[in-house]
Amino acid sequence: MSDHNISEHDFDKFAEFFYRKTGIKFEPSKRYFVDKRLTERMRETGSDSFRHYFTTLRFQASGEELQRLTNLLTVNETYFMREDYQFRCLIDSMLPDVISRHDPRKPIRIWCIPSSSGEEPYSIAMYLLEEWEGINDWDVELIASDIDTQILATAQKGIYSERSIRNVPASWKRRYFKSVPGGHQVSEDIRDAVEFTRINLSEPADVRSMRNIDIIFCRNLLIYFDDKSRKVAAEYMYEAMSPGGYICLGHTESMGRISPLYRVKKFPAAIVYQRPLEAK
Amino acid sequence: MALKKSRKKNTTQSQNEKRDCNQIRNELLSDDASSRRWAARDIVNCPGATHMLLDQLNNEEEPSVRQVILSSLTQLGDSEAVEGLVNCLRSEDASLRNEAIEAMKQLPEEVAPIMATLLNDPDPDVRIFAVNILESLCHDDVEQWLVSVIRDDEHVNVCATAVDLLGEVGSEISIEALTGLKDRFTEEPYIQFAADLAMKRISGD
Ligand SMILES: C[S@@+](CC[C@H](N)C(=O)[O-])C[C@H]1O[C@@H](n2cnc3c(N)ncnc32)[C@H](O)[C@@H]1O
Repeated sequence: MSDHNISEHDFDKFAEFFYRKTGIKFEPSKRYFVDKRLTERMRETGSDSFRHYFTTLRFQASGEELQRLTNLLTVNETYFMREDYQFRCLIDSMLPDVISRHDPRKPIRIWCIPSSSGEEPYSIAMYLLEEWEGINDWDVELIASDIDTQILATAQKGIYSERSIRNVPASWKRRYFKSVPGGHQVSEDIRDAVEFTRINLSEPADVRSMRNIDIIFCRNLLIYFDDKSRKVAAEYMYEAMSPGGYICLGHTESMGRISPLYRVKKFPAAIVYQRPLEAK
Repeated sequence: MALKKSRKKNTTQSQNEKRDCNQIRNELLSDDASSRRWAARDIVNCPGATHMLLDQLNNEEEPSVRQVILSSLTQLGDSEAVEGLVNCLRSEDASLRNEAIEAMKQLPEEVAPIMATLLNDPDPDVRIFAVNILESLCHDDVEQWLVSVIRDDEHVNVCATAVDLLGEVGSEISIEALTGLKDRFTEEPYIQFAADLAMKRISGD
């Protein structure tokens, strides 16, 4: 007979394991949310007990079940033009500063981590094309990453609801979206401009490949982490950036409480964080 | 010029190769700060990691490398790491001391067993740093420790640091000790002021 009950002890064990893998901390107050998804996966995989399921999760060589469960446990809420004062800041302040010391033969590299379903990197692409004159002189690479493989697939399709695009200016909507069954699809040239990759920001092996990034958008991810994993994530991003590069966090997040590695930069449109120029 | 897709990188050798522990140890001493940072991360799976990290922490001049070393030491969190961090509290280097305090705040379970010893250290500066650690140590006994400081510590600056913090985290159970503190330091206007303020905050809640 199968027993899909999850005891307090099971929950703690799972929460600790999931935290080590992803940096995401589930407090006991999130039990309902977590238990529901765990039970669903236990049923789907035909596991007869939590113990059995947990063993699969930990020891499965492919990591497939852990990825499935992770996809269910992430909060993917996002929309176009979210906190767009930072995009303004990108155009007016960060990019002019970055290009002032950038090798003109090399592309500017912008990294969205986490990208969720793609609204953020696509918004940035539109901002660059519409608002930044420098796009005529510079190549820009936009890299977008998330831990959730399913949401990355959604991002690549680029089909959105009316609600998700509600803040997009009407003229941009006409230029960059077309109506398709199921919603509004981002035009192909914009979709083509963004490189989507799966990266877990708590996994050193994943982050090690990221180099020479000029500007990072890391918004509304660190809120799900605890202090320790926030600090480590901030250190990985430091590694990924070029000296003088910038990080934008979500409006409820502040680097001052996370890591002393960065300088606060107060630009007219937004407060962002800079990897010091002289740092080695 | 335009938006361009970044070329899919072939995983480079350095990403894939499994470095052995000897290599990692050597890289901890490399001239390149980025190599030292990666070595400080990767070394956590090697034997003797805590010892190597503590050695390097004391010699390391680049702040970004020190931060990574401290993160790895908090991740290891063994008794040797905690002891090494405690030794940093005695360092002449103020930034190293502060960094050690920040790291110890992240280790409530590991620091708790030695907290009483730290709060009784012969050096009043170390006792003040111990109170600083309590400031954001997420542990059930924080208030009890602070009460013991204001009840027993002879040094006015140690008590002043503790009483400030009690104003933020204290509850009814601290009131008696706060009254006692005022009686012990009748000649110290700051203690009188801070203890009154703490009591007001506590009863105001
Ligand atoms: C609320 S969304 C934020 C999306 C967007 N940046 C924004 O601000 O609108 C959070 C995303 O973080 C992703 N995530 C959670 N843990 C992660 C990790 N360890 N590494 C990378 N992405 C992660 C989730 O899959 C989810 O898509």
